[in-house]
Amino acid sequence: MPSKLSVFLLSLWIALSALPVFAQDAATPVQGAQPVAVNAQTQAGEQLNAAREDLTRLSDLVDKAKSDDNRLAELKVDVDATAKKIIGTSIATRPRLDEIKTRLAELGEPPAEGAPPEADIVAEERKRLIAERGEINALTGDAENLSIQATKLSNSITATRRALFSNTLLQHTDINPEVLQNAGTALAVEGQALSRSLTSWISFAWKYKRLSLLTALFLSLCAALVFLSGSYRLFSPLIRRDVKDAEPGYITRLSVAFWSTMIPTTAAAAFVLSSYFFLQSFNVLRPDIAPIIAITLGVSVALLFVVTLANAVLAPGEGNWRLVRVSDLGARRLMFAIFAMAAINCLDYLLGGIGEAMGSPVILTVVKSLFASVFIGLILMAMALIKPMLPVGAALNSQGRPWPRFMSVLLVVTGGALIAAAMLGYVGLARFIATQIVVTSAIVVTAYIGILTGKAVAKQNAFADTVVGRALEKRFGMGQVPLDQAGLAAGLGIYALVVMFFIPLILLQWGFKIADIQAWAYRLFTEIKIGSITISLVGIFAGILLFAVGYFITRWFQRWLDGSVMARSRVDAGVRNSIKTGVGYLGVGLAGLVGISAAGLDLSSLALVAGALSLGVGFGLQNIVSNFVSGLILLVERPFKVGDWVVTGTTEGFVKRISVRATEIETFQHQSIMVPNSLFINASVGNWTHRNKLGRSDIPVVVGYDTTPRRVMDLLLEIADAHPLVLRNPAPAAVFSAFGETTMTFELRIYVADIVNGGGVRNDLRLEIFERFRAEDIGLPFPKDVVEATPADPPAEVAEDKQPPQDGEAQAADAKPETTHRRPRRVGSSAAGETP
Amino acid sequence: MRGRRLRRWAMKTAWSAFLLVILAVSPVWAATVTNKDAETAVLVVVEGESRVEIAIDAGGSESICPTGCFLTTPSGDRIGLQGDENVEIINGSAVVK
Repeated sequence: MPSKLSVFLLSLWIALSALPVFAQDAATPVQGAQPVAVNAQTQAGEQLNAAREDLTRLSDLVDKAKSDDNRLAELKVDVDATAKKIIGTSIATRPRLDEIKTRLAELGEPPAEGAPPEADIVAEERKRLIAERGEINALTGDAENLSIQATKLSNSITATRRALFSNTLLQHTDINPEVLQNAGTALAVEGQALSRSLTSWISFAWKYKRLSLLTALFLSLCAALVFLSGSYRLFSPLIRRDVKDAEPGYITRLSVAFWSTMIPTTAAAAFVLSSYFFLQSFNVLRPDIAPIIAITLGVSVALLFVVTLANAVLAPGEGNWRLVRVSDLGARRLMFAIFAMAAINCLDYLLGGIGEAMGSPVILTVVKSLFASVFIGLILMAMALIKPMLPVGAALNSQGRPWPRFMSVLLVVTGGALIAAAMLGYVGLARFIATQIVVTSAIVVTAYIGILTGKAVAKQNAFADTVVGRALEKRFGMGQVPLDQAGLAAGLGIYALVVMFFIPLILLQWGFKIADIQAWAYRLFTEIKIGSITISLVGIFAGILLFAVGYFITRWFQRWLDGSVMARSRVDAGVRNSIKTGVGYLGVGLAGLVGISAAGLDLSSLALVAGALSLGVGFGLQNIVSNFVSGLILLVERPFKVGDWVVTGTTEGFVKRISVRATEIETFQHQSIMVPNSLFINASVGNWTHRNKLGRSDIPVVVGYDTTPRRVMDLLLEIADAHPLVLRNPAPAAVFSAFGETTMTFELRIYVADIVNGGGVRNDLRLEIFERFRAEDIGLPFPKDVVEATPADPPAEVAEDKQPPQDGEAQAADAKPETTHRRPRRVGSSAAGETP
Repeated sequence: MRGRRLRRWAMKTAWSAFLLVILAVSPVWAATVTNKDAETAVLVVVEGESRVEIAIDAGGSESICPTGCFLTTPSGDRIGLQGDENVEIINGSAVVK
């Protein structure tokens, strides 16, 4: 009693002492949150101010860069980022606003007129909260205005860029002798300026920066060695035409064409970039020289690209490697024409770049482009005169025929249009078209060859015939199927390369800027909007990746648990299997959940799916679900394990595998039967080897009445005792089981340690019984032919397997095929129905 | 061989189930505003350059601004939205879920 009282007092004391603590706890958050929230607001205010300054700065920059498309594209990305930041800032103030609203709701409305006034502290707090709410709203209003401003700026950049593009393309210059004359004078001035700055730069660099210049040149040479000869060495089987190959296959030609364009161009680009980088980083370049060097290097790569491509496709020297069917002469002439066009176009750009660097008047650039366009137009028209076409079956070196009509018309019209546009003063347009004809078509042709290569490589068994395929076969001894799969992967890889490399290249050609393409790619991978749905490719890939990782970790953990832990702890095989499978389900489920949440899908919306699924379960999926749940129960309850001999319904055999939906049972004839798991739960299952493998086996023996029953039983027991696999304990038993019309039925019941061996033991015993009975002259009173002649009358012979219905337990498999026949048969002829 | 085929089947099932779930759970990522009040709520939405008023009937809901916007609720509060929220209008003020 005293102890109870003391406990009560103690608890009362604790409760009382705790009360004020609770009250304090409840009071602190509002007061404690105050400085934090104010901090958050000042922080938001500062961020907004920073954003405002950013916007002002950006809009100044936009004003300055009104004619620089590249810069505008970059600025737009910045402006969009600022707009995002502004929204983020205002979102940060949201929790405090919610807090204030909740607190205000708690405080309630201010008392109405005439109502008793409320406590001062409440009125004060309300006032303060309302003021803070106003502050936050003002802040958000600021953010709102700023956001509008940012969007306006972003849109105005887009408009400027659009105008810029159409202006450059459709700018009109009057072409007249005076202009040409002016351009001539400007050209002379430019030439002088160029030679002056070049010589001054060279002498300056030589005098004061000799070491840097030489180092940069040396490093460039090293880079050339690495990239050009290295790539040639590394990829030579891919890009070299095999001289000995008289009749190269289509894929070989395609892939050699593709790679012999791609690899040298990429290597040259890498070399050019690295040597420019060296020159730049050793401070050898001067601001007036740097753009000239840059454009020279760039233009040479472009020229190399077009020429190698033309050479790869036309193969003027080696007709058997040609991709298009044109005559030798035609190929040579086409090659020359393409080279001339590319060279003129490149020269145009080079001169344009030089003019820009030298600060020459725009008219000079215009006139240069004018000439370039006219020349390219002339070359196009001249190309219409080439006769490259070959009739079917003609040799490559025979005389070619003219182009088909539409082709020559197209060439003439394009060339004429170019010349006309240039002469009319639309030089920008003419130059654009000329560049498209040379460079874009080269890129498109390469991409097309790439796609054709990918398609050809991905074809069944095509990869094994390629150089790489043969190398793989030789090096790694890959078989046909892996090679075929590798071919598919290679084909897909080539597709991906083409898409990722050439589409941006073409877009760049069309005047899009790198910043644009980056922004698009970013948007493509992070948020694709279809209506109001946003899909993030990156998220989905991350989810799939995480799921795969989780899956493999689970498998590895399963193997480790099974192989290293449970194998040594001598756990029962059934338990092992159950734990392994359970861990597998759990792991895959977890990996799925992690993957789904990483893919950015809200798990709470899974509840919706679960609801829909439960309806589906009610109707259609109930079988599958019940099988799955039954499988789980089988794993927990373990009525049988893998390797057990089970009987259910009409199916009998050894359990091979317990899986999600069904259990695989292998019959004695090695037929695999998938038994749905629910069948094992709902119906009764017999298991011969549940606790142990000991089992009884019966052998019925039928003998005529002229024999002494005791003698027969003694003999049977003797025979059973003599067999090594028959257990002594439980001892074998011989039973006189039935009187027939003319026969007596005996039964020999034996126990074997492993019921799986029962069939063999029975077979041995029957043989032994037959032989002993014959030796003792017991069971053979009738001659054989009589037996055959009177089938309805079973003789007193050593019969077999006339199973009485009551002892089906031990010989189910044995008895089934033979319960109906009454004709005696020879011993050993019943192998078909025998258990193993 | 049979075991491998079975395993492959299981893998295939697992993958297709996974894809099915992904497809089934495709989320709606625009801010959804639901009016839980008894009267029509008039909201001012600032999205991009424009400032528009939208009216949401009692109990109705509307998808707005997939790329972020500002919202002025009937109570006069302004909130910024990222574009993936669910907003409920309760007693004229916004509750972001």
